[in-house]
Amino acid sequence: MTRPHVLIIGGGASGVLMAAHLLRDPGADVHVTLIEKRGEVGRGVAYSARQQDHVLNVAAPGMSAFADDPDHFWRWLVERGFVEQANRFVFMPRRLYGEYLSWVLGKNIDDGRLRLLHDTVLAVHPLPGGVELSLDSGTSVVGHTAVLAVGHEERAARAKGIAVRVGSAQDTPLDPDADVMILGSGLSMVDAWLELSQADHRGPITVLSRHGLLPKRHCDVPRMELDAADVPFGTELGYFADWFRKTVEEHVGRGGNWRGAVDALRPFNQRIWQEWSTQSRRRFLEHVRPFWNIHRHRLPPELHDRLRAAVDSGRVRLVAGKFLDIARAGDRVSARVRLKGCAAEEFMEFARVYDCGGVSVDVLQSSNPAVQSLISSGAAKPDELHIGLDVTRDCAVIDANGVASARLFAVGPLTRGTFFEIEAIPDIRMQVAGLAKRLVC
Amino acid sequence: MLTAKGKYGLKALIHLAHYPVGQLALVSDIAADNNIPKKFLDAILSDLRNAGFVQSRKGKGGGYRLARPPEEIKIGSVVRVLDGPLAPIPCASHTRYEPCDDCDVSTCQVRHMMLNVRNAIAEVLDSTTLAQMRDADGEVLPRELRRTG
Repeated sequence: MTRPHVLIIGGGASGVLMAAHLLRDPGADVHVTLIEKRGEVGRGVAYSARQQDHVLNVAAPGMSAFADDPDHFWRWLVERGFVEQANRFVFMPRRLYGEYLSWVLGKNIDDGRLRLLHDTVLAVHPLPGGVELSLDSGTSVVGHTAVLAVGHEERAARAKGIAVRVGSAQDTPLDPDADVMILGSGLSMVDAWLELSQADHRGPITVLSRHGLLPKRHCDVPRMELDAADVPFGTELGYFADWFRKTVEEHVGRGGNWRGAVDALRPFNQRIWQEWSTQSRRRFLEHVRPFWNIHRHRLPPELHDRLRAAVDSGRVRLVAGKFLDIARAGDRVSARVRLKGCAAEEFMEFARVYDCGGVSVDVLQSSNPAVQSLISSGAAKPDELHIGLDVTRDCAVIDANGVASARLFAVGPLTRGTFFEIEAIPDIRMQVAGLAKRLVC
Repeated sequence: MLTAKGKYGLKALIHLAHYPVGQLALVSDIAADNNIPKKFLDAILSDLRNAGFVQSRKGKGGGYRLARPPEEIKIGSVVRVLDGPLAPIPCASHTRYEPCDDCDVSTCQVRHMMLNVRNAIAEVLDSTTLAQMRDADGEVLPRELRRTG
């Protein structure tokens, strides 16, 4: 048999981790081609942040590229003198993590098994014996298998071309005194607020989200002990939520911290999601997710305190309400909003609106040409909730007829319909480790 | 270990899993066919309904049916709902656990071993679906968990 040739579409964190796991065994007879439009690897949406303030939201020891070598990143940091051995509860700059990811991959370029292409994949064509990718440069590349690792959607979800993503080409220089609105109150909102602060923005910032919540603060606390045998898998959302509330209360009653209970659930989150009925999953996304997110996706303490101070001083105003629509109003932008608890709609005007509504973009609206081509040819379809592509639990892309591909796979955020929590490194590294095993054999 | 409640609940679900999709079963039939006290069965079915395993309709022609296909219902999920976190002895659970008065939980080897036992129990119960249990003729374990030779 010829040696397997794996094409990886996307060179952000998930693509790099995929390649690193495929090539990890120096004896693995495999050929990997990684296609990244940015021209540098490991610097996707998440880790290209230039500012020192953009730090990882997970403490350094949790960020190794390899689950079975949890100190891999930590050793890299220590060897380069970026951290002191004694204090492990530190949140490193994201650009440094991008550097680490490039380094992880760089080790493999020399041995001839890895090829990097600076190009954009326009279309994906499954063939009887492989996969062909049409590239923006006018050429194409053929492999035995292909892995979609396209990361987060880059198009602003509710933009209509009017709201913009921070740092995108549409985010042109702004009057520092301008009033702006940020849609969403999760970690992406915090990123946007940081970028504005970094650019010495002085104007008022209004943050609109359904409940007007802010992410909670990280604390270095021990995890509660929890086994699969304790978790009521397969029960409906209401029952499950009751159980979890009681579990947190009991943990706190025994002197624990709620964070320890939230984190204790982490090893089981994918399974909890998978064993819920579709109705429970949908209701979770609609009603519970905002509350879950602020407890689950927390902020490094120092960052949280700065944001809290900005809110207390009035520089950042939190507004609870539902975003309905957006329109241009001369050189300004008008957002149509229904405030929480009010029946009436109102219009709010700003110089600019940033969309940080996180990640729940209907995959049919994806701006990624590779994803679009797969859906329009029927080689892929949205998952039931349209939050990603429909994939099997071993990452095979499922076509419009419900057949799982033997050649086409997906990893990372695009697979959240099946895995839900598949955006953070600790989850992605597990996912790619499993897939690498399958692709190399 | 499995209480009468857990046992009766599983029997009731197996009973329901034999019905055509969507058809309601009378509580009195479930009770009579499986030798379950009717009052007790009412309470058990109510718990199963709260957890989302069965649906009910009241009044004339009313009764119970499965809320999800039996292929999607894991035995472990049912037992956790009816009997609480799977635990062979009360202290061997991380939630709802009842520490013994006479030993130190962190060093008690018995508790330690029983935690391993419960994980093994969970593995068996969680890899068996209601459909498998319904169709198994006295052979409940899925093939991969059976002891060979």
